[in-house]
Amino acid sequence: MSLAFDDYGRPYIILRDQGQKKRMKGLEAYKSNILAAKAVANTLQSSLGPKGMDKMLVSPDGDVSVTNDGATIVEKMEIQHPTAKLLVELSQSQDAEIGDGTTGVVVLAGKLLEQALTLLDKGIHPLKISDGFDRACDVAIKHLESIAEEIDIQANDHEALIQAACTALGSKVVSKRKRELGKIAVTAVLDVADLKRKDVNLDLIKIQTKTGGSVEDTRLISGILIDKDMSHPQMQKEVKDAKICLLTCPFEPPKPKTKHNINISSAEDYKKLYQQEQQYFVEMVKLVKDSGANIALCQWGFDDEANHLLLQNDLPAVRWVSGTDVELIAMATGARIIPRFQEITPEKLGKAGCIKEVQFGTSNERMLVIENCQCTKAVTILIRGGSQMIVDEAKRSIHDAICVIRNLIKDNRIVYGGGSAELACALQVLQYADEVSSVEQYAVRSFADALEGIPCCLADNCGLNPITSVAQAKSRQLTEKNPRIGIDCMELGTSDMKEQKIYETLSSKKQQIQLATQVVKMILKIDDVIAPDDY
Amino acid sequence: MSQFLQPTILLLREGTDTSQGRAQIVSNINAVQAVADVVKSTLGPRGMDKMIQTGPKVTISNDGATILNLLEVVHPAARVLVDIAKSQDDEVGDGTTSTTLLAAELLKEAKPFIEEGIHPQIVIQGYRKALELALEKLEGFSINIAKDSAQDKRDTLLKCAQTALNSKLLANTKHFFSELVVSAVEKLDPNILDRDLIGIKNVTGGSVTDSFLVDGVAFKKTFSYAGFEQQPKRFENPKICLLNLELELKSEKENAEIRIEKPEEYQSIVDAEWALIYEKLEIIVKAGAQIVLSKLPIGDLATQYFADRNIFCAGRVAQEDLLRVQKATGGQVQTTVNGLNPETFGTCGLFEEVQVGAERYNLFKNCPQSRTATIVLRGGAEQFIQEAERSLNDAIMIVRRCFKANKIVAGGGAIELEISRFLRHYARSVTGKTQYIVNSYAKALEVIPRTIAENAGLNSIEIMNKLRQKHAQGDEEGRWYGVDINGASGVCDTHSSFVWEPTLVKRNALCSATEAACAILSIDETVKNPKSDQDTKMKPKGQPGRPPMGMRR
Repeated sequence: MSLAFDDYGRPYIILRDQGQKKRMKGLEAYKSNILAAKAVANTLQSSLGPKGMDKMLVSPDGDVSVTNDGATIVEKMEIQHPTAKLLVELSQSQDAEIGDGTTGVVVLAGKLLEQALTLLDKGIHPLKISDGFDRACDVAIKHLESIAEEIDIQANDHEALIQAACTALGSKVVSKRKRELGKIAVTAVLDVADLKRKDVNLDLIKIQTKTGGSVEDTRLISGILIDKDMSHPQMQKEVKDAKICLLTCPFEPPKPKTKHNINISSAEDYKKLYQQEQQYFVEMVKLVKDSGANIALCQWGFDDEANHLLLQNDLPAVRWVSGTDVELIAMATGARIIPRFQEITPEKLGKAGCIKEVQFGTSNERMLVIENCQCTKAVTILIRGGSQMIVDEAKRSIHDAICVIRNLIKDNRIVYGGGSAELACALQVLQYADEVSSVEQYAVRSFADALEGIPCCLADNCGLNPITSVAQAKSRQLTEKNPRIGIDCMELGTSDMKEQKIYETLSSKKQQIQLATQVVKMILKIDDVIAPDDY
Repeated sequence: MSQFLQPTILLLREGTDTSQGRAQIVSNINAVQAVADVVKSTLGPRGMDKMIQTGPKVTISNDGATILNLLEVVHPAARVLVDIAKSQDDEVGDGTTSTTLLAAELLKEAKPFIEEGIHPQIVIQGYRKALELALEKLEGFSINIAKDSAQDKRDTLLKCAQTALNSKLLANTKHFFSELVVSAVEKLDPNILDRDLIGIKNVTGGSVTDSFLVDGVAFKKTFSYAGFEQQPKRFENPKICLLNLELELKSEKENAEIRIEKPEEYQSIVDAEWALIYEKLEIIVKAGAQIVLSKLPIGDLATQYFADRNIFCAGRVAQEDLLRVQKATGGQVQTTVNGLNPETFGTCGLFEEVQVGAERYNLFKNCPQSRTATIVLRGGAEQFIQEAERSLNDAIMIVRRCFKANKIVAGGGAIELEISRFLRHYARSVTGKTQYIVNSYAKALEVIPRTIAENAGLNSIEIMNKLRQKHAQGDEEGRWYGVDINGASGVCDTHSSFVWEPTLVKRNALCSATEAACAILSIDETVKNPKSDQDTKMKPKGQPGRPPMGMRR
């Protein structure tokens, strides 16, 4: 790349490593950026909707994952192109904020860019396009709010929540069991939700996976599941009315942190030292026992001698419990974390109804279940499935469902899915377009076209004729004045999404439209790309 | 014959390239043009962004100084432009693109003079004279903003912030952000207005309008140990203890070694270490602290100790965050807990840990002596937020400047045109070469409105003619006509449509652009040393007699 030439046609060296840089300007830059971003959107397009397909992604290490979740796909694709990366971040920020709708947001951005490309070809200034999109976005959001419906989340045994979860799960590989999984997700969220503050701390829901069994075996444990077993195979496997002692110090003789040397000058001293060590073990076990604890969970390891002593004293113990688990258990059982043995007091113990070791299938793996905790605020969803890939995908799906439910608890307004909300907005935006007198009119109209792209895509993925079905739905929306008409993806015979009970949260839809518009605006504003030349 | 052959005198190292004379000046001017061309399209409300990839990092920006910096300019004359953009950025924070453009345009106007053989020093003299007059006029034209009511002042600040945000990605939400920026600056100590005390935190996710201002300090939850979740996460009027102290069970001195002679002594050493840390913790608790922040780690032991006593703690708080907490809460950072005095504790109205996007943030709100504010920025993509941050930075700088100096001028190229008109008028009254040069200076100033119009896709020739005509009427009415990117006519009174800029920005831009132009004009020789072996090999093969190419440093 060179910026200037002298009178003899030789380039000036103005920039460092000028020969190795590449520059794209003006229309060329817009087009290249849009094409790159569209390529990403096109990849995701076929994953949208209840009949969307999955992608198989192989990581550099050879790990295979199969997924339908937009954010995961783009993340694992390891995209290099700077503009395409913007879409990856778009999807991830939708994931961080809402947790669901990560595919939809990218597809929408792709559709918007596609429209922008044709407008650019018409010679419209890119900023006029982005202004138009912005205005159309405002109109669409306002319309969305007006067609949104408030639902009573508690009515009918939380039926609405379950339906919303089902919608989120509908597009995933686990869709066959969506009702069961939806229920599990709803119960899990409600268990930890603070309905008064309308807040849900998702950290309190632990999702544990275990291959084996089938997806139907997935269950909710109102307590905590940790992937650990008792430190000694002969310890009792079940503790009722457990009093838990949570330790963050090892069952070992204490060591000073300062570098130290022990000079042993005589055999007598050596014996003393040995005895002292033994004494430590006995004392430790005694201290735990005396406090009334009947199970000890330790963040660190045990000496084998300590393990033996614990068994002798009939005190089941678990070692190497991870820090996050320790914290979770502390929260759930009301235990205090104890940093050294001298500080063990009966008040610091946590209480749980039952701690037991469970074994799965024929494999030798065991897990610990802590149930009926004193301050039960933590729950675990144990996901089972035929293969690691299924289990992983099920985990992502349930995560999506949980996010949807959380959003509904925060804000109980919903819109109907199946592309109906997008269609309704598109119609509204189209109407508004005619009122705009300047060049932006074209951009506003294109925005409406882009919104229509979503139901189109849905229909296409379901094997319907996209043009016919969208046209039908559109005309019915207009004639019947019913914003709930969408695409009948499941071919249930009705296009009214209220009857099909396809719920989506308002916050998710709003966020999708806003974020997509924002990123498209940003891409449209770039007229110059300077990058290292790879070729 | 041999006596006529003069021996070659080698003054410089082999490979050194020297170039001098008029050709050198022209060549430098060309290089500067090329650099200015890169940033040209970012000027004005319809300016575009640049995407620059440096290694794995991608930056999307509209800020002149940022772009020039990332371009990695090596041409020595062109580097002058980078430097003035930077100095404008440091001094006033905004107007970096216009400064660069102005300098380049001044040089472009000077080029024909140089080619025709006018001595560069005469050009320089003329430019300096023109600058002097321009500055004088700038002061004369600038409008004093009514100081009487606080409301008026606030309005002015808002408008200046909006003008600064006009060309950025945030243009559509400028009302929202100008409010945010002005409120943030108002929080600062009016005498110092330390920019560092406004923190900007980026959290991806959400819409830009979800951004909010914290009247105090906000920072991301620091790394925490087990037990942290059991600490209370909300306090009203807490006592905040700020430390620069490690609260961890560890060896007190590095490289110390203990020799234990008898097994019985073993326990005492262990106990001694525990006693040390417990002593520290106890002092803090006894002093009544409710929130403990430390720049250094707070270990798991301390975390649990505090959790047991309903105290919130956070370790590894970043230096600038701790500093801002100190300013906001009125506390003092302690490096030891010995003799900890409750008077050194700070306080705030409300402390809370809240979830923002995927992150958790610690917020200290309603601080009594709040001399600091934090803006939490939200947005779709990382690059988007980063650019938003740069834009806000510009706006903050402008508002800061406005806060002190109350003088403003109208933007949109109006003030440049007005000065230009005056200079043209003045030029007619002088004799000699200066007449031409002052005239050129006046012409160069028109680059600003012209570029704004060009970037907006307007017919710049038509617009310029309209504007010149308005200004030529010479009365108060025509004075503030500038480019209007929205209206059909393309021109409007930018003063009454509230496109306001602090006089200081313009003043600095004029000064540094002229200085830079003069500096480049006065260089008539460049000596380029061969850099290093590998570079000499890569060097393009220059042939003798050709004008010099750009130089490496």
